Amino acid sequence: MQFIVEDTDSHLNITVTEPRIDAAIATLFKDKLREIVVGRRKPVHLDMAAVDFMDSSGLGAMIAVRKSLPETVELVLLALTPNVERVFRLTRMDSVFDIRPAVPAPHASRPHTAQKEQRE
Amino acid sequence: MTSSERSGIGVDAGTGARPATRTQPMFHRVLSAHPMTVRDTLSDVRLRFRAEVSDDTLGRLELVLAEVMNNVAEHAPLTAPDDAEPHLPVIHLCIVRHSGGLACALTDDGASLPDDCLLPRGLPPMLAEDMPEGGFGWFLIQDLTQALCYYREESRNYLAFSIPFTQREAEGTTA
Repeated sequence: MQFIVEDTDSHLNITVTEPRIDAAIATLFKDKLREIVVGRRKPVHLDMAAVDFMDSSGLGAMIAVRKSLPETVELVLLALTPNVERVFRLTRMDSVFDIRPAVPAPHASRPHTAQKEQRE
Repeated sequence: MTSSERSGIGVDAGTGARPATRTQPMFHRVLSAHPMTVRDTLSDVRLRFRAEVSDDTLGRLELVLAEVMNNVAEHAPLTAPDDAEPHLPVIHLCIVRHSGGLACALTDDGASLPDDCLLPRGLPPMLAEDMPEGGFGWFLIQDLTQALCYYREESRNYLAFSIPFTQREAEGTTA
């Protein structure tokens, strides 16, 4: 399982590279993501554009990650694909998570201190 | 494990025949109730129907099948009766396209389904201080299916339901 993590001054950009968040990997997904976000005290932007499919165990993993962060720390879900958006919408979890469309292309003002790393 | 896929006899692709008059594609497979096998099966279901069924319907089908089959895997009995070697439950999955949607039938020799899975249910209570991390699966299955029915006969569960087409598909205007 791999996440691309970019630690900027203002927040943590995490790109999910796993195409499916299902029962086969939900627990691992939850543990790895929690490990990355917990204790950083920065808003988390999670890019989900690569995720084609998520089931209720994947949703449970997302909720667990949300709960592992203090309420004051933002967790933004970006670029949900239709199948993933459906699960959030039908379960009303779209009212709990901050869901936004894809971010526009990176612009010049992005801090140069950003560090990109890959987490396996 | 055995697996088979049958295509309708004499499918005449690309003639633009009305769905009601052409042979309907189907999918049949026998699989072990293991999350990775479920995953592979869902991928093959998608390949089987993607030429004729909209992405929206395929997405709903895939979600419901994932919920049902992963439930069988998750609640697999840990012991076998009569000192037999414990084994993963075996699922038989059959999907047939009909004029209004995709008719699905699943049987398995796993644990019996608790009654409350089939009773009308809402979402688990959402408490801000302690959000539920589970309890969504059967809500999604009930929400996305029609004509959901279940019975148990001896050591097997039988579950059947239909995934309705979108209105556009049902009118025969699949893109």
